[in-house]
Amino acid sequence: MGRDEDIRQAIIDYASKGAKSKFYFKDMLTGVKKTIPDAGASEVKKVASAMVSEEVMELLSTGSSTMYGLKGRGISVEKSGDAGG
Amino acid sequence: MGAPGQEKLWDKEEKEHKKYDDIRIFTDEQLKNYTDDELKNFKVKHDISMIEQLESGPWPSFVSDIKREALHRHKLGQDNLMIPADICDDLLGIVELSYKEGETHWKHGGIVGVLGYGGGIVGRYNDQQAQFPNIAHFHTIRVNQPSAKFYTTDWLRGFCDIAEYRGSGLTNLHGSTGDLVILGSFSDQLEPIFFDLTHDLGVDIGGSGGNLRTPSDCIGKARCEFACYDTMDLCYEMTMEFQDELHRPAFPYKFKFKFDGCPNGCTASIARSDMAYIGTWKDDIRINQDAVQEYVAGKIPVDGGAFAGRDWGKFDIQSEIIDLCPTKCMKWDGKKLSINNAECNRCMHCIDAMPEALRVGKDQGLSILFGAKAPILEGAQMGCLTIPFMYVNKPYDSQKNLVRKVFDWWIEEGKNRERIGETIQRVSLKTFCEVLGIPPMPQMVKEPRSNPYVFFKESEVPGGWDRDINAYRTRHPR
Ligand code: HEM
Ligand code: HEM
Ligand code: SF4
Ligand code: SF4
Repeated sequence: MGRDEDIRQAIIDYASKGAKSKFYFKDMLTGVKKTIPDAGASEVKKVASAMVSEEVMELLSTGSSTMYGLKGRGISVEKSGDAGG
Repeated sequence: MGAPGQEKLWDKEEKEHKKYDDIRIFTDEQLKNYTDDELKNFKVKHDISMIEQLESGPWPSFVSDIKREALHRHKLGQDNLMIPADICDDLLGIVELSYKEGETHWKHGGIVGVLGYGGGIVGRYNDQQAQFPNIAHFHTIRVNQPSAKFYTTDWLRGFCDIAEYRGSGLTNLHGSTGDLVILGSFSDQLEPIFFDLTHDLGVDIGGSGGNLRTPSDCIGKARCEFACYDTMDLCYEMTMEFQDELHRPAFPYKFKFKFDGCPNGCTASIARSDMAYIGTWKDDIRINQDAVQEYVAGKIPVDGGAFAGRDWGKFDIQSEIIDLCPTKCMKWDGKKLSINNAECNRCMHCIDAMPEALRVGKDQGLSILFGAKAPILEGAQMGCLTIPFMYVNKPYDSQKNLVRKVFDWWIEEGKNRERIGETIQRVSLKTFCEVLGIPPMPQMVKEPRSNPYVFFKESEVPGGWDRDINAYRTRHPR
């Protein structure tokens, strides 16, 4: 498998197995680094962005911060107690 | 048309620029479709007697404005609108309900966006969808404003038509980040809005969430003689350079750039942006002594004549300029004005008051401050001077390279929902300076003790130092 595919698989593993269905980019990056220690933020971002475009993943935003998640996993419209901005 | 040498560019843009008549959605009759009498007798669908009291106050009321829009939409009719014609009725209805209950019915957040973009659209949903179906969705769309917010009326009219047709018709010009904001759209209209904005108006969606927010700038060289660099161009270039950061969120939290051409800070970058660019100069304030005399003699009105129409008294250069200089670095001997420029902290007071006599220096560039923010985790914070001076030359490589360093570091080091100012506080300004590769400088110290101590390493001190811990212990036992 190519590098991008490895990262993609690591993202899917992290996103489907973790306790949380929605997570910050940073947590996903840490998750990916468990299997690919030298994974850089920009390459993980590139793959994750492609997965959002392909609608494999989706973004949840309160307006102030953004969370990633696998499409269809967990709730899709969240009432969070989060202060926006 | 256009500045000398730029005629061609201007002509080209003129041709590419769509005219309102090419893209308009509504006719003139539709745009002006109600009379004052109709407005006077108009009632929205819900009882809104509580919030109608707000109209009785001395100020213009949002209730009156939204009622107008409600009437306007009723008369346009649902056939001419993609969003419920009654959306404004329901909006007022929910506000009334919230006034009664003292509780909001807006949920916070949700998944909405346009394909390929991770920001710019803030999903808003209502939890009273049975009673107020027309505001079940009320999404906010941020639209990247042009540099310094210059528009043609054609463009604005086109924008308003889109906001009417595919939104609630209510807009916010401009949001605090700088964007034009279209309020109250439904999810199914987001892609069409995006298409219209990009194809008909040539603008993009702005930022929201954990990404680079829409950069904004002061009017700069377009109209202002104080501008020490071309804010509009730098803002545009940086927006284009960091498109990926704007549209695809990977930051711990929001990040804002703002560009002020001089320390007057019309964009308030020092208070409102994580990375503030403020124009400054290295050499001396330029003085025209003859013009100073004319100000003193009352021949040129001080402050551009702002103090007129009341008995402000005669201009007194001693009390109004010299004594107000915060660093006390100015002198007036009755004939000549002098400035000890080394002490000037560029407060701009003297230059603002007597612009025909004083000008910013000629050796111009910018300062960069990091870390301003509203209170989220820690308290509110102003930007901290980190780079005292940098020249600004197209294509702005030094500015762009610096930003890349900052982003790379912050993505790795920043905690979730931590603004960069908080990250810097956590790891210390000294560490941040090391990341950027800049030495600590006296200009970074705002005042003794308000900045953390900088501990020098041996390698940073010329000659280093030679200390024998054992010899030390003989003099200072544990
Ligand atoms: C307890 C209730 C709420 C609190 C404490 C709260 C707090 C905040 C704070 C602190 C900010 C950031 C301000 C800034 O950075 O300058 C903010 C922004 C915002 N809030 Fe709220 N908020 C609340 C409810 C709501 C509701 C009900 C809505 C909408 C239905 C909403 C929509 C927004 C939006 C759109 C922003 C701006 C987001 C941005 O600029 O990125 N908030 N809120
Ligand atoms: C009904 C009366 C309303 C009034 C009087 C009102 C007023 C305001 C004001 C004064 C601001 C700040 C403007 C600035 O940045 O200087 C603002 C921002 C904003 N409002 Fe409203 N608003 C109203 C309703 C709403 C509703 C119903 C929504 C969405 C559900 C909304 C969404 C927003 C958003 C998203 C912003 C922030 C835009 C940005 O900074 O990017 N507003 N509003
Ligand atoms: S910040 Fe300075 S340069 Fe920019 S518009 Fe204001 S006064 Fe002019
Ligand atoms: S700009 Fe401010 S600090 Fe500098 S000389 Fe003028 S008044 Fe003094």
